Amino acid sequence: MASDDFHRAALEHLDALYNFAMYLTRNPPEADDLVQETYLRAFRFSHRFQPGTHLRAWLFQILRNTFLTFYRLRERESALAEDGVPAWDAPMFHDAPEESSGAVEAHTDLERALRRLPEEFRTVLLLAEVEGMALEDVARVLACPVGTVKSRIFRAKERLRGLLRDYTKE
Amino acid sequence: MSNHSPESDDALGARLRTELRRYTAPAYLRGSVGETAEPTRARPAWLAPTLAAAATALVLVLISIPFLPRILPADPTERLVRSVVAEHTRALMWGARRPEVVPTALPWLTQESGIGLTRFFVGDDRLMFVGAEPVYLEGRRGMALYYRDGDGHLVTYAVLPAPGFSIPESRRVPIQNKWRPALMSDGGFSAWVWRQGDLACFIVSDMVSESDIEHFKDYFALLRVATEPVVAN
Repeated sequence: MASDDFHRAALEHLDALYNFAMYLTRNPPEADDLVQETYLRAFRFSHRFQPGTHLRAWLFQILRNTFLTFYRLRERESALAEDGVPAWDAPMFHDAPEESSGAVEAHTDLERALRRLPEEFRTVLLLAEVEGMALEDVARVLACPVGTVKSRIFRAKERLRGLLRDYTKE
Repeated sequence: MSNHSPESDDALGARLRTELRRYTAPAYLRGSVGETAEPTRARPAWLAPTLAAAATALVLVLISIPFLPRILPADPTERLVRSVVAEHTRALMWGARRPEVVPTALPWLTQESGIGLTRFFVGDDRLMFVGAEPVYLEGRRGMALYYRDGDGHLVTYAVLPAPGFSIPESRRVPIQNKWRPALMSDGGFSAWVWRQGDLACFIVSDMVSESDIEHFKDYFALLRVATEPVVAN
């Protein structure tokens, strides 16, 4: 793919990437930085992109990996279950961090519940349900088998339901 | 439909698609990302192979330098000076091959070098004696004494047999109205060169600036007065 074509095609996904970055970071300046960094890397390593594969999934993968590298290092680690996600009652590795001062407020119970999900669950729901990505592309972004994606979607929805039930009771 | 909740997977998926806020990239971000996408000037295709070839050539040149034929001065005195300076440089970089303590090793040194010392400078607070060793330069057996001064300069005093050795008159420098050694230089080092009986004597150091040369004169006087080399019988 020619450089200009690649840049044009990559920029078409800016809004989707920004939306994803906002749900990952919950902080507009951090989301800006994350998207900027994603595009910098994408343009720098554009020669590694294989034409014919899904550019959108490739960009989401870069964004998520960048997020994991630069934003999650601060968080503590814990043992992961078979599908790479902490168990329900285990101390959570990627659970939502404390709200920072610049964080955007959640307006609905659904948003609030989504924020409380571990990053792996939040990401899988955002990619598969909100962005409407094929499971194969989600698997590529998460660098895991499709079966793991299915399992995570199932568990993510289970946990989301549980949180929504709690809000209803409140 | 999940067994644990009345809300089906599809319904939950639909809620996620419709109820979640959709964030749009702000205009400034769009602008700055667009700037990032501006094509940068591509590196010329020939640059990398040219640099690689130049680096390889440089390495080859560096490797072959020691094997290149040396251009030796025609004048035997200059050749000797060069050899003594080379010996000094070697001692400076690697230390003496086998530094000996004088006078304990003097008989052995005399036997090895064919040169005796009726007296020699043992060092003082300005020049500390480091060691002595026999040397073999330009086909001549000789002896080298090493000293180090307070500033860390290594000073090499070398004595070799003098046949065919002459002092260049134009380089002579008067010192204390007693001596007129020649001040020669080679490879960034200075050397006092003079004859003493049948021997050629050298004092080499890296003292080349004007102020250093004044100290270097003092070192010459010290060594010249206190050291008396003779051809061993």
